[in-house]
Amino acid sequence: MTNKRKNLSRFFYHSARLILGVIFIYASYDKILHPKAFAEVVYNYQILPGGLINVTAIFLPWLEILMGVFLIVGVWMPGTIIWCNTLLVVYIGALCFNLARGVDVNCGCFSTTKGSSISIETILWDVAFLTLSVYLFFVVFGSKFNEGSK
Amino acid sequence: MFIQFREKTSKTLGQQFLQSVWQCCAMLLLAVFLGFSINQFRDNRLPLFDDWSMETRLTTPSGVRLEISLIEAKNLFFQQAAVMIDARPNDDYEKGHIKSAKSLPWHDVEQKFMEVTKDISVDTPIITYCDGETCELSHHLANFLLDMGFTNVRILVNGWTKWQHADLPIDKEVSD
Repeated sequence: MTNKRKNLSRFFYHSARLILGVIFIYASYDKILHPKAFAEVVYNYQILPGGLINVTAIFLPWLEILMGVFLIVGVWMPGTIIWCNTLLVVYIGALCFNLARGVDVNCGCFSTTKGSSISIETILWDVAFLTLSVYLFFVVFGSKFNEGSK
Repeated sequence: MFIQFREKTSKTLGQQFLQSVWQCCAMLLLAVFLGFSINQFRDNRLPLFDDWSMETRLTTPSGVRLEISLIEAKNLFFQQAAVMIDARPNDDYEKGHIKSAKSLPWHDVEQKFMEVTKDISVDTPIITYCDGETCELSHHLANFLLDMGFTNVRILVNGWTKWQHADLPIDKEVSD
């Protein structure tokens, strides 16, 4: 691989890492500030049993903020990327499930306040984030950047 | 050389797998630790378990049950004693709604609240509805209206479907 291509690959890798990191931090801070409102959002998805709603609302935003920080700093990349992919797949599944059964719920993706009900657009955004995350997965678990991912 | 390469690769993959697993577990534990410990010390602490049952959610903190039966709602409707408010998005309202119901979509409630409620006195019976047994829009709207000072707010759960199935009066968009 030429130096130019290597530099370009590095540029894409670090850009994807930073973009996803900022997105996860931005997505988590409002949920951390307003746990009750976030618990309402989790409830409204009508997926989790009642006993798991508050527990999820308490720890999930912290997992997101950890993922964001680790992505930006570049530590624990294998674990972080697995969590990114897992959470994004779960979020897309939950959005599709509710959209398909016609339940009009607040997305709660970036804010716990009302006004952002789920739509195809929301799902497409999450698919775009998942694309970045899958790209990072292949980079981190490929051989090119092993030294940078430890 | 090929075998050596394969061995080296599989070892690396194995190590990477183990590394990923422990990192995932450590991140989860760290998130749980941070979340629960900070939650313990905050003013707006969230209890670990809440009662999220429908019955609790349809009851105000003072113990008033907000749900109204279809028969009660129908009687109030024909006596013209209640205002029906549709909490669904405007597109759904346009496609069809309970006859003479007002539209106050939950997602636009702050912008449209004043305009929609300007002719309604605070003690007028109000019935909010949306569609589907799990629809929360009418609950949110009812609680919002109670917070805004309306004293007689009720919820017709799964209102739009129930109303249509009972062949009660509706306004429906005429398709071409």
